[in-house]
Amino acid sequence: MFGVRSRVPHVLFALHSSVAAWCVVGPGYRWWGASARPFVFGLPWSLVWPLIWLALVFASLLAYERWTRKVEDANERAAQADGARNPASAP
Amino acid sequence: MSPDAWIVSTVALAYLAGCLWVGMRGGAGASDSAVGYVAGDRALGPLVMYFIVGATVFSAFSFLATPGLAYTSGAAVFYVLGYGLVGFIPFYFLGPRAARLGRAHGYITQAEMVAHRCSHAPLAGTMALVSVLSFVPYLALQIKGAGLVVNRLTEGNVPEWLGGGVCYAVVLAYVLKSGVLGVGWTNVFQGVLMMALAWAFGLWLPYKLYGGVGPMFEQIAAAKPEVEGGALFLSAPGAKSWSWFLTSGVISTIGFVCWPHLFMKAFSARDERTLRRTVVFYPTFMIFLVPIFLIGFAGVLFPTPPPKPEQVLPHMLMSLELPAFVVGLFCAGALAAGMSTGDAIVHASASILVRDGWITALGRKLSSNQERRAVRVLVVVLTLASYALAIAYQGDLVSLLLYAYGPIAQFLPGLLIALCGRRRDGPAVHAALVAGVAVCVGLKLFPQFAPWGLHEGVWGLVANLATLGALSALRSQPKRTE
Repeated sequence: MFGVRSRVPHVLFALHSSVAAWCVVGPGYRWWGASARPFVFGLPWSLVWPLIWLALVFASLLAYERWTRKVEDANERAAQADGARNPASAP
Repeated sequence: MSPDAWIVSTVALAYLAGCLWVGMRGGAGASDSAVGYVAGDRALGPLVMYFIVGATVFSAFSFLATPGLAYTSGAAVFYVLGYGLVGFIPFYFLGPRAARLGRAHGYITQAEMVAHRCSHAPLAGTMALVSVLSFVPYLALQIKGAGLVVNRLTEGNVPEWLGGGVCYAVVLAYVLKSGVLGVGWTNVFQGVLMMALAWAFGLWLPYKLYGGVGPMFEQIAAAKPEVEGGALFLSAPGAKSWSWFLTSGVISTIGFVCWPHLFMKAFSARDERTLRRTVVFYPTFMIFLVPIFLIGFAGVLFPTPPPKPEQVLPHMLMSLELPAFVVGLFCAGALAAGMSTGDAIVHASASILVRDGWITALGRKLSSNQERRAVRVLVVVLTLASYALAIAYQGDLVSLLLYAYGPIAQFLPGLLIALCGRRRDGPAVHAALVAGVAVCVGLKLFPQFAPWGLHEGVWGLVANLATLGALSALRSQPKRTE
C-alpha cells in the first residue's frame, strides 16, 4: 500500500492537509474550537485544538518526507542498475 | 540617564555586538560572486534554513502586535497559528521544483524564474516593483518597532530615531559584508534568543499575575462571561467577524508561500532534501507562538490598560518594576525579532531590484562583480529610504503592512503557471497580476466597495484569475483556428 509506486501516501497527505486547513483556518474551527475554559496544561480547548493539528501535520509531513525519500532512493537505484545493464543509456 | 536605563542600554548593546560578530563571521567561505552573495552559493544546510525561515517569519510585529491582538480580540489571534501551520505546506512541492529550475537556469530570484518560464521579461519588472513597494513599509515597520522598544524601555532616554538607527546600522554592516550567509547565521542566533525569551516571559507573566496559565484562563472566563459561546469566544461579539478570520487566514496562507524573500530561499538550499526538511520541521517553530499568545491574554485583566494594544508587553514589564537586566533581556528579544526579519527583507529587496528590475526587465548586462556591487549599493539606499519613512511617517504603519499580503498573494497564479503549467502565457499572467494588484489596492483604499467584509486580497485573486482565464482563452483561439 505504501510502495514506491503507490498513490496512497499522496492521497492521504493531501486529504490530511486539507482537513487541517479546514479545521484550523476554515469553518471547522468554528464548530470545534469553542471553549474558553482550561482543558489541558491550563490551556483552553480553542488553543489546544490547533496545537493538536500542528502535531498531526508535523507527524504526517515527517512520514511523507520519509516516504518521498524512499521513492527517490528506489528511483536512483533503478537508474544505476539500468546504467550498469546498458552503459550506452547511462547519463 | 538613570542607572536602570544604562543597564537596559548595555544589555541591548551587548546583544547588538553579538549580532554583529555572528553576522560578520557568517559570510566567511562564500564565493565572491552574485550567487555567493544572494544565494549563499546554493549551499545552506538544514539548521540555517530552519532558522532563516522561522526567524524571518516572526518579526517585531509578531513579538509586539500578536500579544496586542490576543489582548484586544481574544481567540481571533489563533488565526496566526492556523495560517502558519498550513501556509508552508505548498512549499514542500513548489520549493524543490523551483530549486531544480534554479540550478538548471541560474535563477536566484522568484520573479526572474516566473518571467523566464513565461518568456515575458517585463513581468519581472512588475513583480519587482510590487515586491519592493510591499517591502519598504514592512522594513520601516521593523525599524520603527526597534526604535519604539528601545525608547520605551529606556524610559524615553534613547530617542526612537537613535534606537532604530543604531540597530539598522548593525544590520547594514553584516548584510553588506556577508550577504545571505550573514542573514542566515544571525537568524540562528536571533531565533534561539527570541524563542528562549518568549517562553520565559510567556510562562512567567501568567504565573506572576494569576498564579499560572490555567488560573489565568479561568479568571478571564469568569470575568468576561458575556463572550462565552461565541464563535471566537474570548473576543467581544462582533470584534472580529468570522469572514475576517477565514479570509485573513486564506490570504495570509497564500501570501506566505509567495513572499519573495522566503521563496528565494529555494535557490539557496544545499539540496532538495534540505528544503523538504525545512518544511517538515517548520511547524515546530510555530510552537513559539504559544507563549506570545499567553503574554497577550495575561494583559486582559491587567489593572492598567496599555497606551496602544501592541504595547501590552512593554507596558506590563514596565509596570511590574522588574530588575533592569530582565527588561534589557526583553529589549534584546524584541530587537532580535525585528532585525531577523528586517535583514532578510533588505537583502531580498535589493537583490530583486537589481536582478529582476535592472537585469531581467530592462535587459542591462552586468558582470557578477558589478551585480554584487549594485546589490550592496541598493541595500544602503533601501535601508536609508525605509529609515526615512520610519522617522517621517507618524501614522499607523501596521495598516500599511496589512495590505502588503494582498498584493503579494497575487503572485500565486503566475508562480503556479511558471512551475507547473504546460502553457505559459506571459502577457496574460502579467495583465492578470496587474488587475489583481489594482483591485486589491483599490478595495483597500475604498473598503466600502468590498462585498461581505472579505479580505481585499480575495477579490484581487478573483480579478486575477478571471483576467488570466479570459486572456488565455482569447489568445489561444487564433492559434487553434490556424
